[in-house]
Amino acid sequence: MSKRLSVTLLTAPAMILLLGVFILPMLMMLMLSFQDENQAFSLHNYSLFVQDPYYLEILWRTIRVSLWTVLASLLLGFPVAMYMAQATGKMRGIVTMLILAPHLISVVIRNFGWVVVLGEKGWINETLISLGLIDQPLRLLYNELGIVIGLTDSFIAYMVLAIATSLYAIDPSLNKAASILGASRMRTFFSVTLPLCLPGIIAGTTLVFSLSMSAFVTPALMGGTSVKVLPVIAYEQIMATLNWPLGAALAFLLLGSTILLVTLYTKLIETKRYKEVFAS
Amino acid sequence: MKKINVLGLITFFVLVLVNLPFLVIIPSSFTAAGYLAFPPEGFSWQWYEMILDRPEFIDSLWFSLKLATVTAILATFLGTLAAFALSKYKFRGSGIINALMLSPLTVPSLIIGISALLFFTRIGIAGTFTGLLLAHMLISIPYVVRLVLTGLSSFDYTLEKAGYMLGAHPLRVFWDITLPLLRPAIVSGMIFSFLTSFDNVTVSLFLVAPDTTTLPLAIFTYMQETLDPLVASISSVVILLSLVFIVLLEKVYGLERLFGLNSQSH
Repeated sequence: MSKRLSVTLLTAPAMILLLGVFILPMLMMLMLSFQDENQAFSLHNYSLFVQDPYYLEILWRTIRVSLWTVLASLLLGFPVAMYMAQATGKMRGIVTMLILAPHLISVVIRNFGWVVVLGEKGWINETLISLGLIDQPLRLLYNELGIVIGLTDSFIAYMVLAIATSLYAIDPSLNKAASILGASRMRTFFSVTLPLCLPGIIAGTTLVFSLSMSAFVTPALMGGTSVKVLPVIAYEQIMATLNWPLGAALAFLLLGSTILLVTLYTKLIETKRYKEVFAS
Repeated sequence: MKKINVLGLITFFVLVLVNLPFLVIIPSSFTAAGYLAFPPEGFSWQWYEMILDRPEFIDSLWFSLKLATVTAILATFLGTLAAFALSKYKFRGSGIINALMLSPLTVPSLIIGISALLFFTRIGIAGTFTGLLLAHMLISIPYVVRLVLTGLSSFDYTLEKAGYMLGAHPLRVFWDITLPLLRPAIVSGMIFSFLTSFDNVTVSLFLVAPDTTTLPLAIFTYMQETLDPLVASISSVVILLSLVFIVLLEKVYGLERLFGLNSQSH
């Protein structure tokens, strides 16, 4: 059999699926987003987004919730990654397993567990009330806090892995060298460890940010009906209002703003790093 | 005196946190009370017996298992073939094909779901098993391709040559030499595809119909109206089922390796 024929036969089934179920439908969706009610070309769906403060407010909330999620996963995830990098074989394996396994169980179920913990009659509120610390249940769910907790739980594994991978790659003799030269542990951390694992931090933060921006199961279940984010609005336009062109446009606007913000962020950090390198 | 390990403490806290949902769901599924409570009150199997009276959960469980099984088999087959071509032959456009194979990971599920709905509605398979199957295959194939490509990158092709030289038929070489050496990568691709399909909500959400609903979606829909221990008991069943596959995956391939591969994507 010729090489060309083999390659075609082997890749064709997967390629047909990818082109037919992914590329073609996405192009259709893009075209649809530029249509008005009479199926004529129009920028209405996109201009609506800029004109109507309602949508801008929702975009801002989506970004805000995502930023909080990034911050929470970084603050909680960084020590875990540090611990994993210092731990020996067996312990590292156990921590890895316990942080990754939940990730393979449906997000709906994890969110449900959080409802049991955080709800008005949930574990935390019942405990605090029975201890006499509060009179009224705290509102931990069906607001932005609830969404941030749910999203952090969902995506922290990505942050931990990204940072841990970059920490694993650091040559341990660098730390030794720093301490031989008289640097304190604090100094070693800020001058050696942190700069070297910066790529991992950048990868982790961009990844968690992008994932949070487009998440909509957790916001739907833990944000309730009053606190809506952009993916939830897009979903409602598609499934409830049946305004498909607007729903499609909102989804692309979401993707566009995510890419824009991530690009700005990485550019900003790169520039800063160059400055540091050339200044010193 | 032993110094208190701050990193260890924080790590322990985070591990409890990410596993907390399961630590509360399983106990509260055994509650004897008529409402959702943690810690549970009393002990009873009543909420598990209740599942049997809810055809929507039983039917969707079977539907999900069937869908995940077919997805796993077909996605692994298609993905493995493509990975073989990409690894074994150097050809023009292989870079583009490789990028295309992984591209569904770089696009949010929201867009994959909406675009599939638009297209499937037009060709009349929205809300069918076929539609869900195609969409689930699409999101599973990238993982299979990555896993098998990684497996093949360390594959020693001289072993195949040795087989030919000893006079074995190409199919025999494939079956007796190539396949066994790649088994860990292929099997984990299959398990991972199964879990991807079995857990999925974000893409399925757009493609289900009342009589073709997956279990996570049945739970999602039920949860938005009622929160009772029934959700806990059915969730515990799913947790247990998933756990079997997670342990299998850990044994066959190792979760760390697996996630190291897909940490750049979702």
